[in-house]
Amino acid sequence: MHQEIAGIQNLEQGVSLSQDAFRRLKKNKMAMIGLLVLLFFIVIALLTPWIAPYSYEGQNLELGATSPSLKNWLGTDTLGRDQLTRVMYGSRISLAVGFIATAVALLIGVLWGATAGFLGGRVDAIMMRIVDALYALPFTIFIILLTVIFGNSLILLFMAIGAVEWLTMARIVRGQVLTIKKQEFVEAAVSMGLSPWQIISRHLIPNVLGPIIVYTTLTIPSVILLESFLSFLGLGIQPPQSSWGSLISGGVESMEEYPWLLIFPGLVLSITLFSLNFLGDGLRDALDPRASKD
Amino acid sequence: MLNVKNLRVLFNTRNGTTVAVEDLSFTLNAGEVLGIVGESGSGKSVACYSLLGLIPMPPGKIESGSAEFLGQDLLKMSETELRAIRGEKISMIFQDPMTSLNPYMRVSDQLIESVLQHKKISKKEARQRAINALNEVGIRDVEARIDDYPHQFSGGMRQRVMIAMALITEPQLLIADEPTTALDVTVQAQILTLIKKLQKSHNLAVIFITHDLGVAAQMADNIIVMEKGKLVEQGTTEQIFKAPAQEYTRKLLSAVLTTSKPTPSLAEQTEPPFLQVKDLKTYFLQFGGALVKRLVHSQKAVDDISFSVSRGEILGIVGESGSGKSTLGRSIMRLVDAQSGKILLEGKNLLKLSASDLKKSRRDFQMIFQDPYASLNPRMTVFDTLAEPLLTHKLATRKNVLEQVNQLMDDVGLDRRFVRKYPHEFSGGQRQRIAIARAIALKPKLIIADEPVSALDVTIRAQILKLLLELTQKHQLTMLFISHDMSVVRYLSDRVLVMQKGKLVEEGETEALFIAPKEAYTQQLLAAIPKI
Repeated sequence: MHQEIAGIQNLEQGVSLSQDAFRRLKKNKMAMIGLLVLLFFIVIALLTPWIAPYSYEGQNLELGATSPSLKNWLGTDTLGRDQLTRVMYGSRISLAVGFIATAVALLIGVLWGATAGFLGGRVDAIMMRIVDALYALPFTIFIILLTVIFGNSLILLFMAIGAVEWLTMARIVRGQVLTIKKQEFVEAAVSMGLSPWQIISRHLIPNVLGPIIVYTTLTIPSVILLESFLSFLGLGIQPPQSSWGSLISGGVESMEEYPWLLIFPGLVLSITLFSLNFLGDGLRDALDPRASKD
Repeated sequence: MLNVKNLRVLFNTRNGTTVAVEDLSFTLNAGEVLGIVGESGSGKSVACYSLLGLIPMPPGKIESGSAEFLGQDLLKMSETELRAIRGEKISMIFQDPMTSLNPYMRVSDQLIESVLQHKKISKKEARQRAINALNEVGIRDVEARIDDYPHQFSGGMRQRVMIAMALITEPQLLIADEPTTALDVTVQAQILTLIKKLQKSHNLAVIFITHDLGVAAQMADNIIVMEKGKLVEQGTTEQIFKAPAQEYTRKLLSAVLTTSKPTPSLAEQTEPPFLQVKDLKTYFLQFGGALVKRLVHSQKAVDDISFSVSRGEILGIVGESGSGKSTLGRSIMRLVDAQSGKILLEGKNLLKLSASDLKKSRRDFQMIFQDPYASLNPRMTVFDTLAEPLLTHKLATRKNVLEQVNQLMDDVGLDRRFVRKYPHEFSGGQRQRIAIARAIALKPKLIIADEPVSALDVTIRAQILKLLLELTQKHQLTMLFISHDMSVVRYLSDRVLVMQKGKLVEEGETEALFIAPKEAYTQQLLAAIPKI
């Protein structure tokens, strides 16, 4: 009974789904911690040029690799560069790649998949064959080709990653849409005379948010790691610039002698990954009005 | 034989503890059929499942009580002891014969498995028993069909297989949980007769769980009426139906529709008729072939149907599953594409409209769907759901839409304050009211209601039907009312179409058709309705 009354109180305030969702998200402690950690990392990344203790290219060959100390909190690498500075600069690249490339993948993938799934028939067949064809393209060769033609730039890096990551998203969304579009509320929307776009944006996409969010939180860390692979191939960033991915792959090489070169970038990446997962789970629950009752 | 005393079952959920069964006591003798009647959520299934330890624990918890079965307390048994009883001494039949048979196992293997679980006999003997059991439940040509997979049987035949499986171990008690709810009415009649016959010949005790009073009346010697986990009334079948002592029992009984339409027909003849369907054919074609398309299979869902409807008339369309009645409704709604024919709404052919004209015309004909849980978008509040059609067709602006939505809420008898709630916060009946409000929001001329009360409890069903009658009068609606339930159609419609396998079998004024059906199929349908 008191549930009923609480319900009436909050509906008289007239909350929208996003307000409602944020209210529910705030109650989820893990998700909020995740959100705060991510915000903290983003703020640090943005402020890095002003707050970094050293210059990212400043070498000190005589110093060499030293373990963490008061002077260099996270130690220095084999060329005597301050590891904290490199991790901070690395976060600028990694977070940018992670969020922007995922956003691109999300946008294309969701729209592509939802459209194909909803329209069905021949349109669906053609759209999904395009996805299959792109899937079949050998990724490494595709990247090398891009580098040869366009040279090396960050924009190209975003494009290259975005171009691969949206494929899986499109498939997931299409599959979900296929099951949801058979439900009667979609038929009701059709019989009300809504346009396909209205149906996709208002009735289909909100109902596939769960899988979309989960897959997004998985995509961001994989994109961050993909960047280091691309950098290794010569696309993307080159030393002395750094990214978490390149720091980790560099750290692996000297893991036995200088473990801190692997541990700290690895730790930062793991914390980001955990935060994303908690936030993702929280968002998924918060956006589903059925998931929580209060 | 079975003596249940003070059974109390709880469910611990996030929102606190719910009492599913409260202080339930009953006895059952050998050879007796006990009907447990109640609406959804009354605890009738939970009570029986908890006897066999079949409720998930946790969250479920049997708090107190005892259930003596042949001198042993079922509730005190360990899981291993219970497993020996389940299937051997006590068998169950479930509602949905498709999901309760394993689709990947041959019927023979499933039957043999359940025998071998409990009896020490050879595989060959077990197979012989399976054949006998299938013969007994009336499967024809058993030797040839025993090795088929479940999907190769029809719904009624699958339920017969389920019954064979339940009886093959020669149990003493059979628990049947809504065994005919998923079946067509003529098949239901056959299955009920079969269960009754087997009950007599095996001298079985049966607990028959149902929401359908007609079925209970036909099957049970004694009846328990349950509401919200509590026993409301207990007595012989005759007592319950002739002289119900409790208010709730009377309410249930009065909700069973035995009457004809309470209001006069508002049909008004016009030339041309308001809605005219001519030679309508809707086939579902299945194509195969990798490069060249070829027709693999065609199903004539609606096969050459013609009829007309007057303005203000309520036309009932009845038929069993697969009769094409829903496809007919969906074809008129333009939710599926018809092969050929004409659908003339006020002289305008709906099949010939351009895409943009169709979109505009859609406000003239709206649909009410069967399942109020699937027909509302779970992520939209009631307000959004009802405002959407109004805004799309520019019948309201963002500023004054709330006023109209409130008006709709009043129309369907929902509290205005609930307008910002989400569908899952409503009960089934309330959700169906929301769906009805959405359908009338655009002030359509024609409403197609596809089994709008089939998913609802019987007392709610009566309320929704009354609401539909009120609304058709108030808004001068014409309605096509599609249903498999003859009594509901009789209560609501002015005229009836009977469909079978995509064809029109019979057409006539409701009362005339119910009193003197001409076609054999219609007679069969009417005879299959369980009588109270």
